[in-house]
Amino acid sequence: MHWFKNSIPLIAALLVFTSAPHVSARRTDDTYNYDRWGEAIPSRAGYTAAESISGRDLGVSDFADISDIFLASDGSFFICDSGNGRIVVTDSEFEKKAKIIDEINYKDQKLSLENPGGIYVSDEGILYIADTGNSRVIRCDLEGNADLVIEKPDSVQYTAVTFVPQRVLADKAGFIYVVDGNITGGAVLFDSEGNFSGYYGANRVQQTGEVLRNYFWKFLAGDEMRKYMTNAVPSAISSFDNDEKGFIYTCSSSLSQDIDMIKKVNAAGYNLFADMETDFGDRPTADYSEYPQNSYVDIDVSPTGLINCLDYTNGRIFQYDEECNLLFIFGGKGYQLGTFRQVSAVESSEDCLYVADSQKNTVTVFEETEFGRTVHHATELYNAGYYDEALEPWFDVLEQDGNYRMAHKGIASAYINQGRYREAMKYAKLADSQWRYDRAFEGWREEFVSTHLTELILAAAALILITVFAGRYLRKKSSCSGKTVKETAANESNAEGDEAK
Amino acid sequence: MMDLSEKQWVKHAVLHPFEGFEDMRWKKSGSLRISFFIVLLFFIGTVVNDRLYAFQFHNSYDKLFNIVPYFVKSIVLFAAWVIGNWSVCTLLDGEGTLKRICIFSAYSIIPYVASLFFTAFLSHFLIADEGVFILCLHYAGIIWTGVLLFNAVKTVHQYSFMKTVSAVVLTLAAMLIMMFLLVLVMSLFQKAGLFIYSIYTELQYRFRV
Repeated sequence: MHWFKNSIPLIAALLVFTSAPHVSARRTDDTYNYDRWGEAIPSRAGYTAAESISGRDLGVSDFADISDIFLASDGSFFICDSGNGRIVVTDSEFEKKAKIIDEINYKDQKLSLENPGGIYVSDEGILYIADTGNSRVIRCDLEGNADLVIEKPDSVQYTAVTFVPQRVLADKAGFIYVVDGNITGGAVLFDSEGNFSGYYGANRVQQTGEVLRNYFWKFLAGDEMRKYMTNAVPSAISSFDNDEKGFIYTCSSSLSQDIDMIKKVNAAGYNLFADMETDFGDRPTADYSEYPQNSYVDIDVSPTGLINCLDYTNGRIFQYDEECNLLFIFGGKGYQLGTFRQVSAVESSEDCLYVADSQKNTVTVFEETEFGRTVHHATELYNAGYYDEALEPWFDVLEQDGNYRMAHKGIASAYINQGRYREAMKYAKLADSQWRYDRAFEGWREEFVSTHLTELILAAAALILITVFAGRYLRKKSSCSGKTVKETAANESNAEGDEAK
Repeated sequence: MMDLSEKQWVKHAVLHPFEGFEDMRWKKSGSLRISFFIVLLFFIGTVVNDRLYAFQFHNSYDKLFNIVPYFVKSIVLFAAWVIGNWSVCTLLDGEGTLKRICIFSAYSIIPYVASLFFTAFLSHFLIADEGVFILCLHYAGIIWTGVLLFNAVKTVHQYSFMKTVSAVVLTLAAMLIMMFLLVLVMSLFQKAGLFIYSIYTELQYRFRV
């Protein structure tokens, strides 16, 4: 019985430890992240699917082919129900009774919507609808009273035959940006009066081998021949969103070009992400056997500046912070809650994310997990420059997911700031951040030299003395043996000389 | 004159790039054992240079360790050079035997091997801004080895300057051809292996009643 008594605490401990994982809230979502080598590793979920909203849940008929959703700044939620030709308005909690906009009053006539592709609501509550089927963009109030309808621009600059508005956006000055399905030169720009005023934010052409070859042949070809040769065109913008500072974020769904897939465009049309060494979306495997086929159908910038990119191919959401650091990847293809069949649009509030599926015809609500909240808190502090304040949340993050690379970066930066160089070096290495490691090492080296100056000088002096004495000793030894060698050599050469004579 | 021990010959050959090998050839010196040791150091140096380099300069894929690339980059490369040079220069009236070519070539790569170790060592004391020192050391090693290797070929076969140049170019071509044949043979063996394996599985299915 004695051994049994002793082992009771042990058994108790074993029971506690084995049952612990079942007690903790474990996420079974298929979420992953990329480690320092760019390889996919399992990661904790930053968002978890809470519910999915269908038309019936809102007290209206079923949705058909949801093409866009929009969360206005006052909290009202707009669903662009393309197949039914209507806009459904509710609130972000989906509790308010839904209101339907399907008729627009414009100059004493009633306009109907046909396959509307995109909606945008400005802070003042002005609704912009890209009425794709009718080739027009409508600006109206929330009651459906339009004051502007934009049709195909009548300008020599507008070279396309048709006008296919798919997404629409307005900036603070009232300029209207339209993604046109057959324009690859960027978004079509209209002023607040509806006058065509050019294009905005075109993508670059990727320099592939084929493009270079065409350049060469075009150089040789005559004018007549050139007409029949293919032109290299940039990939078209598939969607966009604007943030509070007025920057416009665009995405592209091209599978053949991977340049300028995600852009942050300023007022001058310049892409601020152009020189950034960031890979958006999935990454190729180490041996390039699998190459990612991301195709972004929608992009969204949250009120806190997080960038959510919606990948059509795999139905996943890639979330980045404002510095383009990858935060979370979630979603996927499937039939369950939290997975999608055909994603079409993404929107976000402070702590929720909404994804529309045009085949399931639901809007899925993702809620931030506790892990997600910690990461967002830490990133926000870190990006604002509060490295020391971000230290504690970063350690929280590491406790929940020890592979989270951003946390290592943040901790390394904070430690460099605090002058704890040795630890900073460790975390910089874990984060695979060479420049941080370099800076930490520089600091550590300086500190080391200044604290150990006496020892270093003594060691250097000792080294010099040892080399001098060792050199002298060796020379003496070799000169002793060398003498005999020289003598014999001299004899040999004499003998050779004699023979030659 | 010039009666040096084998170790002293190594020093003499390396420190006298233009005369050293001539002296060595004249005295029929040079040890195969030392040259093998140098090649071994070359191999170790290649590994050290990739694995033990300071992180601020070099980021090695330390998730797994595969020795084959290092082996190919050092020992196989050296062997290809020696065999390629021998096979080319036998046709070009070179005097060198396989053994002599091996010894002379091994002695000439000493500066490069030394630079492999020294740069890896020095990288732990410098920051990225001071990387130019490492670069200097690295290029010094390469140039020194280049000069030595050229003179080694020139001496061992008793060639003129221009003939040495053509011999080196042909040797490089021979190395490429050897590499190509090696890949070909390897893929052939792989195919043959797969074929035998598929026969084996086929038989296995047949005889499993």
